[in-house]
Amino acid sequence: MSAQAVIAANRFGLGARPGEIVAIGGDAHGWLRAQLVPERVLPAPFAALPSTGDDLAEFQKWLADLAASGRAPQTAMEAGVSDATPARATGVESEFRRRFAPRYAAALKARFGVAINTTRPFFERLVHFWSNHFVVSGTKPSAVALPPSFERDAIRPHVAGRFVDMLLASSKHPAMLVYLDNVNSVGPASQVGRNPDLRRAFAAQAFIPARGTGLNENLAREILELHTLGVRSGYTQADVTNFARVLTGWTVARPPRVRGAQLAVRRQSAIGLFDFDPDAHEPGAHVVLGRAYAQQNEAQGEAVLRDLVRLPVTAEFIARKLARHFIADDPPREAVARLAQVFLDTDGDLAQVGMALIDLPQAWAHSQRKFKTPEEYLVSSLRALPGLELDGTQLASAVTALGQPPYRAPGPNGWPDVESEWLGPDAVWKRFQWANETARRAAASVPDPEWLALDVLGASLGGETRSAIQRADSAVQGLTLLLASAEFQRR
Amino acid sequence: MSSRRSVLGLIAGGAAGMWCGLPGLAFAAVPSERRLVVVLLRGGMDGLSAVPAIGDPDFRSARMGLAPDPASVKPLDGMFALHPRLAALAAMYARGELAVLHAVATPYRDRSHFDGQNLLESGAEAPYVRDSGWLNRALAGLSGAGGRSGGIALNTGMPLILRGSASVTSWSPATLPGPDQDTEQRLAQLYARTDPRLADAFSRAAMANGVAARPGPGGRAFSGLMEAAARFLKQADGPRIAVVESGGWDTHVNQAAEAGPLANNLASLDRGIDALRQDLGVLWDRTVVLAVSEFGRTVAQNGTRGTDHGTGGAMFVAGGAVRGGRVIADWPGLKAGQRHEGRDLMPTTDFRSVALGILREHLGLAEQQFANVFPAARPVRPFEGLVHDRSG
Repeated sequence: MSAQAVIAANRFGLGARPGEIVAIGGDAHGWLRAQLVPERVLPAPFAALPSTGDDLAEFQKWLADLAASGRAPQTAMEAGVSDATPARATGVESEFRRRFAPRYAAALKARFGVAINTTRPFFERLVHFWSNHFVVSGTKPSAVALPPSFERDAIRPHVAGRFVDMLLASSKHPAMLVYLDNVNSVGPASQVGRNPDLRRAFAAQAFIPARGTGLNENLAREILELHTLGVRSGYTQADVTNFARVLTGWTVARPPRVRGAQLAVRRQSAIGLFDFDPDAHEPGAHVVLGRAYAQQNEAQGEAVLRDLVRLPVTAEFIARKLARHFIADDPPREAVARLAQVFLDTDGDLAQVGMALIDLPQAWAHSQRKFKTPEEYLVSSLRALPGLELDGTQLASAVTALGQPPYRAPGPNGWPDVESEWLGPDAVWKRFQWANETARRAAASVPDPEWLALDVLGASLGGETRSAIQRADSAVQGLTLLLASAEFQRR
Repeated sequence: MSSRRSVLGLIAGGAAGMWCGLPGLAFAAVPSERRLVVVLLRGGMDGLSAVPAIGDPDFRSARMGLAPDPASVKPLDGMFALHPRLAALAAMYARGELAVLHAVATPYRDRSHFDGQNLLESGAEAPYVRDSGWLNRALAGLSGAGGRSGGIALNTGMPLILRGSASVTSWSPATLPGPDQDTEQRLAQLYARTDPRLADAFSRAAMANGVAARPGPGGRAFSGLMEAAARFLKQADGPRIAVVESGGWDTHVNQAAEAGPLANNLASLDRGIDALRQDLGVLWDRTVVLAVSEFGRTVAQNGTRGTDHGTGGAMFVAGGAVRGGRVIADWPGLKAGQRHEGRDLMPTTDFRSVALGILREHLGLAEQQFANVFPAARPVRPFEGLVHDRSG
C-alpha cells in the first residue's frame, strides 16, 4: 500500500473507504487527475432534489399561508431569524422549522449519500470547497431551502471548468440574488427608483418581502471581498457602491407587475429564474476599479465580473485558499505562487489549477497538517463504515451537534478552514461522543477495528494508536479509539 | 482623557457625577472575587437603534424611517434613550448598574465583518497580525491566573479573543449521550502520546464537563448561555472571565420591524444580561459585563430599510461593579459633515481604552501589561472611573 495512495484518499479525497487505498495502488497522481473532468451525469440524489424555482415557490407559499391565517408574513418571517432554540421558539418559528426541515433532511441525505459513496472523492471535495467559497446560507429565512440547488446548478458544473463561469453562474443564480439582497436593490435613477408608484408596485411584487426599495450593496461587496479580489485588496467604498449600481436589475423573474401597460410583461414561463429587470437598473456608465463600464443591461455586470477574474489579486486570493485547504493552514508561499501563476496563465481554468495542485510536492508531505472540519470528519467516518446508514434526520442532528450543518454556514464568508477554529475543547469532546455513538451502532459490522484502521489509514496509522486499538476491551471501544484518533481527525 | 469630552446624561440612582479626573484607585491585589463577562455581538450592532440619540436635533431627519416612536423608547436623559426592548437594561441604568458608551469604535475603519471582528478580538491595529486575543493576553498578565482556567468561552469553538497562552476552556450544552469513563481515559492517554493539541483540548473538555453537569434551559439561546456562564463564574475555583457570543446583528433589511431580527436580538441580549444578574446573585456586585460589536452601522437607512456596515456604535458596560447610570459620549453629531466619511457615526471613543480601563480598575491589570494587551503605535490610555472602587 503506497503512502501516496493514503494521502490521495484522505487529504485530496474524502477519506478512504475500505479497499480504496489498495485500489488506488501505485498511481495516486493518475487517480486524482482522472477526477478533474466535468461529470457527464449528475448523481441521481442531486437530480432528485427540487429546483430553485420550486424552493422559492415553497417559501412564497409559506408567506401566503401566513397571510391567509391572519399573520403578517413580514413580521413572521423576521421572527424566524432570532436565536431562539426550538424549546423557546415562537409558534411561527417552529412552524417554519417544521415546514422546511424535510427539504433540509433530503438535501443532507443527498449530499452525504454522494460524498460517502462516490468513487470520485477528489471531485466531490472540490464541490464542497467551492460551495464554501460562493456561499448561500440557509440561515437566512428567505434562503432557507436554496443552497442545495445553488450548489448543484451553479457550482457543480464548473469545478473542473472555468472559474469565470462559476462566478457568473453564482452571481446570477436566484439563490445568491436572494441571499445577498440583490433582488430588492433598485437604482435610485432607474425607472422604478424615480417613480413612487412603481416603487410601491415593485415592493408589492417583490419575491422577498421588502418595505424599502433602494440601492443595496451587499452582493457587490461580497463579490469583491469574498468571491474574487479578497478583502483589503485595494478596492474602495466607491467601487462597492458603483458595482452595486451595475448589479441593479439582477433579480429573479417574478409574476408581472399589476399596473399600467407601459412596461412589458416579461417571460411568464421563466418565473424563479434569473431575470434582468431594466426598470430597476441604474442607467449610465459606472466606474469600477478605475474602469468605466458603459454596456447596456446585464452585459455591464458580466463585463465587470470577467475583468475581476483577470486580476492578479484574484488569482492570489483563490490560490491561497486552495493551498490552505490542501496543504496547511498557513500554506507555503511557493505553493501559493505556483497556483496563482497557473490560474493567471490559464485564465482561471480550474482543471489546470487542479493539475498544478496535484503536482505540488508540498501537497504530499507525510505529516497530517490539516485538522478535519466537522463535516469532513463525519463524511470520512461514514466512508470508513459503509455498513452504517443514517437517515436525513440523524444526519441533521449529527452535523448540528458537531457544529457544522452543511448549507447553513454562519455567513457569506463560509465555514473557516483552519484548525484554530475547530480544535477547541468542546468540539473535541463532541467528536469523541460522536465516535462512541457511531462505534456502538457500527461495531456489529466491524469485527476487527485494527484491520479497519489499517485499511483506511494505511501507512499513516501510528504505532501508539494501533496498539491502543489492539488492546481495546471491545470492538466498540476499539472503533471509538480509531474514529477519535489523531490520525483519523487529521488529513 | 481629553478634556473636551462632555458627559451627557449624568446621574441616575446616585452614581457620582464625575467620571474623569478621578484620583487614581488602588489596585494592590488581584481581586479574585471579581468577574468579567465579555459579550461579542457579531454582525455589527446598530448603535443608533439600540441607543437612539433622540435629543440630537438632526436625529429624526438623519434616521428617516428608522427613528423610533418617541413614546416607545426608554429615555435615559435628555439626549439618549434605550430601545423599547431593553427593559432590563433600563432598570439597571436606573439602579446605577449600567453605563452606556456611544460613538465608540475599535481602530478598524473599513467595513468587513471578518476583519472587524478580528481586530475587536485580537486587540491589534490591523487584522490578522496577532493570533492571540487581548482578553487572553490580559489573563496571562494577571497574577494568580496560572494553574487553572482563567477564562471560559460558552461555545463549541474557541473565539480568537480568548486564544493565547493563558489557560482557557470552552463549553456548550451537550446534545449527545456520553461515552464510558474507561474509553475516555484510554483516549486521553493516547492523545497524550500522539497529539499534544488534541490532548490539551480533551483534558479541558473533561474538566469543564465536571462543572457543568446541570444543563441550563434554553440550550444555545443567548440567555441559556449566560445562565451557564453564571454557573461557571460562581464556582470557587472556576473561571473569572467568560466570553459569550451573540450573532445576527447584520441588519441590512427592515431593521425597524417590531418583531424583526434587531428587536429580537436586543430583547435576547436584554434577557441574557438580566439572567446573568439573577443567577450570579451577590456576585453581581463584583461583576462587569461588557457588550460590544465589531462596528456600528450607517447613520442613514439604506434602500431596503436597513443599515449598511458603518463605524462608530454603542457599547454597554453593565454590572453591580459599574459606576453606571450615565451615558458617556463625546457626541460627534449626526449632520453629514459630522459623520465618518459622510455616512457613519464618527467614532470619538476608542473601544480599547474602555476595555483597558475595566481590566485595570476591575481586575487590577498592571500598567506594564497595557502595551502587551493592546499593542498600538500610540499607547492606549485606560478610561478612568468606570468601576466602583470596592475592596476585594
